Amino acid sequence: MNHRGGWALVRSTWLSWMQHRSFFFVLAFGWMIPPLVYLLVWSTAAGSQAINGFTRGEFVAYYLVLILVNQLTYAQTNWTVGDVIREGKISQMLLYPMSPLYNTLSSEFAGKVVYMTFAVPVTAVLAVLLHPELHTTPGHVLAFIPALIFAWALRFFWGYWLALLAFWATRADALLAVQDTLVFLLAGQVAPTLLLPGALRGLANVLPFRYMVGFPVEVLTGQLNGSALWVGFAAQVGWLMIAVLLYKWMWRTGLRRYSAIGG
Amino acid sequence: MAQPIITVRQLSKTYRVPERDAGLLASIKSLARRTYNDVQAVRDINFSLEAGEIVGFIGPNGAGKTTTLKMLCGLLHPTSGEAEVAGYIPWQRSGVYLRRISMVMGNKSQMMWDIPPLDTFRVLGEIYHVPAAEFKQTLDELVELLDMGELLTRPVRNLSLGERMKCEMVAALIHRPSVLFLDEPTLGLDVSTQRRLRRFVADYNRRRGATVILTSHYMADVVELCPRVILIHQGSLLYDGALSGLVERLAPFKLIRLTLNQEQAPTIDGHLPPNVEVLERENGRLVLRAGRAETPAITSRLLDTLPVVDLVVEDPPIEAVIDQIYQEAKV
Amino acid sequence: MRYHLKLIGLFIRASAQQELAYRANFLISLLHSLLNFGTGLLGLLVLFEQVEAIRGWDFASTLAVLGVYLTVGAVRDLFIGPSLDALTGINGDIWAGRLDFTLMRPVDIQFWSSFRQWRLLAVFDLALGAGVLAKAIFELGAAVTASHLITFLILLGSGMITFYAVQLAFTGLMFWNPGMLFSWVFNGIFQMARYPVRLYPGGLRLALTWIVPVGVITTLPAQALTGDVPALTLVGSLFLAAALFTGASLLFRTGLRRYASASS
Repeated sequence: MNHRGGWALVRSTWLSWMQHRSFFFVLAFGWMIPPLVYLLVWSTAAGSQAINGFTRGEFVAYYLVLILVNQLTYAQTNWTVGDVIREGKISQMLLYPMSPLYNTLSSEFAGKVVYMTFAVPVTAVLAVLLHPELHTTPGHVLAFIPALIFAWALRFFWGYWLALLAFWATRADALLAVQDTLVFLLAGQVAPTLLLPGALRGLANVLPFRYMVGFPVEVLTGQLNGSALWVGFAAQVGWLMIAVLLYKWMWRTGLRRYSAIGG
Repeated sequence: MAQPIITVRQLSKTYRVPERDAGLLASIKSLARRTYNDVQAVRDINFSLEAGEIVGFIGPNGAGKTTTLKMLCGLLHPTSGEAEVAGYIPWQRSGVYLRRISMVMGNKSQMMWDIPPLDTFRVLGEIYHVPAAEFKQTLDELVELLDMGELLTRPVRNLSLGERMKCEMVAALIHRPSVLFLDEPTLGLDVSTQRRLRRFVADYNRRRGATVILTSHYMADVVELCPRVILIHQGSLLYDGALSGLVERLAPFKLIRLTLNQEQAPTIDGHLPPNVEVLERENGRLVLRAGRAETPAITSRLLDTLPVVDLVVEDPPIEAVIDQIYQEAKV
Repeated sequence: MRYHLKLIGLFIRASAQQELAYRANFLISLLHSLLNFGTGLLGLLVLFEQVEAIRGWDFASTLAVLGVYLTVGAVRDLFIGPSLDALTGINGDIWAGRLDFTLMRPVDIQFWSSFRQWRLLAVFDLALGAGVLAKAIFELGAAVTASHLITFLILLGSGMITFYAVQLAFTGLMFWNPGMLFSWVFNGIFQMARYPVRLYPGGLRLALTWIVPVGVITTLPAQALTGDVPALTLVGSLFLAAALFTGASLLFRTGLRRYASASS
């Protein structure tokens, strides 16, 4: 492993991305809209009376946190992995004395910094305008940090192994769009998981998508306590391990196929 | 003398290039107020072409060749000056005019990537109002000339660069344009594919009487195809005429290749005439450069004083001449 | 006219061939359409399981808005989006430098840019959108009269023209600043049209009605199904559509001319 080269890559990627801030701000704006729509709809719906225990202010807090968590965990680099393979640019990456994972990770980190310089101020302004009510404790904040990191890693590796299907099929990235939609539906964006009807809630708890976005938001907004918290963490880490194993396996077999048939 | 098909008078193009900093704020600011730099890409160019001519546009990168071509295609408005092609003013972009011209660009493709070339050709045929019978006839003819029958039904993405360029040619010619602009059509192709494309352009020009303007950085293209060249440098027209004339004017030198008797070779130094320059020297082989007018006298002196085994007098290679022009830009 | 129709036919054919080149993509796209539709529908179901109505909008009428949203979105995905994307999107003509070929075509460039690329799988989305609309009309029941339906169709038509005009205008802006993804911005804002504009706070509601006329595109037609839309609003929306169409065409053409006088 070449960590020094990796860090140099992160820095250079970040600097070059900051050159095109406006482009990435526009992307970040686009990602922000869907949760914002549901923020406005739910907070309007809860305008007069609480819905299932959620007050208007709590909806606002929930969705503002979700906007940030969503941008922090969204693995935009998954989309480029497929392109790199299809266009044969991966050959060049394989020449570097460093795992191509670093290339992707450097874009990830650089991207997060750039998106946050847009998303944090915008969320702050929204918070001033919309008066959120955030009921959280130091314990919840403490639990939120690992939940967020695991959520990012899970979403990243899950998308990565899907993107690696590009070794076998052109346009495998359509599956990433499917994943985005599933996350939208099952990871607490359409509605907080607690409000989903029974069968759908069961599905959301079993599948990995809730643990990519919704779970850390629920942790920070204090919706989960005691055993619910621990079960959530267990599911998150379990899915993360599966995602990493899938990634490793796909990478190895994919590369073997690539070197066998050429770009 | 026949009416020229292309007339260009005092054609000039100045770009206003906005000065702008990066970033969202700067772009918003620049919406309100902008500062510009003027860049003169083409200045006061004059020339005219007869129907059926093949003319090579040469000049270094950034000389203004592509800008001139784009004005003649109707893609760019000139800043001042006039041009008339086949009786039309190009930048009025009338449909009739656009159907009479065509352009091939070596670095850009107009083929649809995922489907076989034949289908792209059909769409183009409709766009250009080509009647069905004429379409078939033109296609058969082009396919035969380029020997590419088996490519018609394979997706473009599976074709090699050379095969793709053949398709580009067909796509550009399917509506039988009377004026054809070729912008570096041989870019990146292997030597034999280049030769084959050149032969095709010459054949096509002969058969259909189409006027061809060609830009290329491969001198072989120009030497083989263009009896006439137009040299543009820094936006101005520097030369218009036969390629041989350009060489004579620009290279008042001849090269003398000498092979000497090996044993006596090391002792020649004192015997070389003073007005020659030694370009290369390797054992008994020498390459000398001499003024065009003095060459006969020098040659006979060399034959008299040195143990010459072989002696050849030749013009300098065209690439070297062109290189000299591009670097010095003097005519 | 016949020439243009024939060209559209050919464009559709060529696009179909391009899509069929990737067979696996076909199934995945269908799955994606279904999920997209399901998400929209479930969003409503979850919401209206908790409340009866929000600011006067009940399940059936909100469903009508969703139906219009899905239908308009499907029409966009069918040809407007792919065609304009082929010009200004990532890998589009402007970025990939193929614009010269496009501009040398002896056809109207606006026509060419609006119809040349089709995504036929969007027909499936169109069917889903129409299905949602039909269901909404059925749910609204007796409230929908014949005159409501006619008004609805007129407003749906003018909404689509408005929608096209805004997309075209955003595309035209690319000629001034090729680095900005204007259409991405608009597509983001358009997602707000999933719900009636009444559900949004005051300032945003006004912006969505008058500045980026997203409300006119989806909320207004849906309103026509349930209540009487004032004649003035009807005329106004037709006028808006005509004005935006003219303005956008002008902007687009000015952008093209600007390219011709400024580019290198």
